[in-house]
Amino acid sequence: MSKNARLSLIIIAVVAVVVAGFLLFSRNDTTAAPRSDDGKVSVVEYLDMECPSCRAAYAGVEKLKAEYGDRVTFVVKHFPIPSHRNGELAAVAVEAAGAQGRRDEMIKLMFESQQEWGGQPTSQRAVFVAFGQRLGLDQAKFEAGLDDSALRERVLAERTEGAKAGVQGTPTFFVDGTKFGGAPTYANLKAAIERALS
Amino acid sequence: MRPVPWVLAIGGFVGLVASFVLAVEKIALLKDPFYVPTCSINPVLSCGSVMKTAQAEVFGFPNPLLGIAGFAVVTTLGVLLLAGVSLPNWVWIGLQVGVTAGVLFVHWLIFQSLYEIGALCPYCMVVWAVTIPIFWYTTLRNLRPTFQYHSVVLILWYLVIAAGVLQAFWFYWSTLV
Repeated sequence: MSKNARLSLIIIAVVAVVVAGFLLFSRNDTTAAPRSDDGKVSVVEYLDMECPSCRAAYAGVEKLKAEYGDRVTFVVKHFPIPSHRNGELAAVAVEAAGAQGRRDEMIKLMFESQQEWGGQPTSQRAVFVAFGQRLGLDQAKFEAGLDDSALRERVLAERTEGAKAGVQGTPTFFVDGTKFGGAPTYANLKAAIERALS
Repeated sequence: MRPVPWVLAIGGFVGLVASFVLAVEKIALLKDPFYVPTCSINPVLSCGSVMKTAQAEVFGFPNPLLGIAGFAVVTTLGVLLLAGVSLPNWVWIGLQVGVTAGVLFVHWLIFQSLYEIGALCPYCMVVWAVTIPIFWYTTLRNLRPTFQYHSVVLILWYLVIAAGVLQAFWFYWSTLV
């Protein structure tokens, strides 16, 4: 065998061993499906502010919230898709608004104006700052929140937790701890909630 | 360089097929621009589809058209070499210019795919995979025909790109294991 062929095979073998070793020793630690801890039936949604299909699902979820809010706990968790340039910052902005009690309003604003700021290859921080102004937030605190690494960590921790529970894309719903499989339309989600309630 | 005719013939043909499929998919996409899939962390299923981006038509038309033309030439030359035809020097120079432009373009596309678009398209990756050996073996044949460790360099080259793909989509791969 030529030196070239021998060295090539050695490299391939080393890489194969490293990859196999990595796969063998990495634990597959899936966690239990997320649910709320108040004992009520829960709907947990993992979403990305920049995801068009999350925006599409938003109106239906709001309607369900209005109908079932007294019996069902609705929880929104962040799952920013890495390929969305501003998804992560948008999630941080939602939490920064949440620190001033305006989380739901910020989510609404994000989705309503998604077509203006979503899908952009540049940072949309200025747009989010303007959202803060529109909601009448304490701007200094809000902007500090946008740059707060602890807040960002929290968003990313939710994403990691979601990934461990089997979230691969957005929106992903867990109705009373069970991953919801169908298209996330109002009717489909309503049927799933009714099943969980009965 | 003994492998050159085979690399050109097979690599060119595989690249030709991949480019053709990409061109057909592009046409299908143009017919249905309103399709909104769910947003996935899977870089292959990503809703920011690679083909919808500006990088997919750098010169004002879909990139695969370049691939169809270029890989057809590469395949033809490879088949001629396999048939025992000896090509004149100026053809080799022309091929060298073409494959150099091709390999530079492909690496720009790899960078865009990994770090700007954040998504992968399988047929694009086939094109990456064949363009590199086509360039590498043509260049060796023209400049350093006695170079010994040709496939070692090729493997290391692939490994660097694989490492880039691993790193760029680390979050997704980490959910799989």
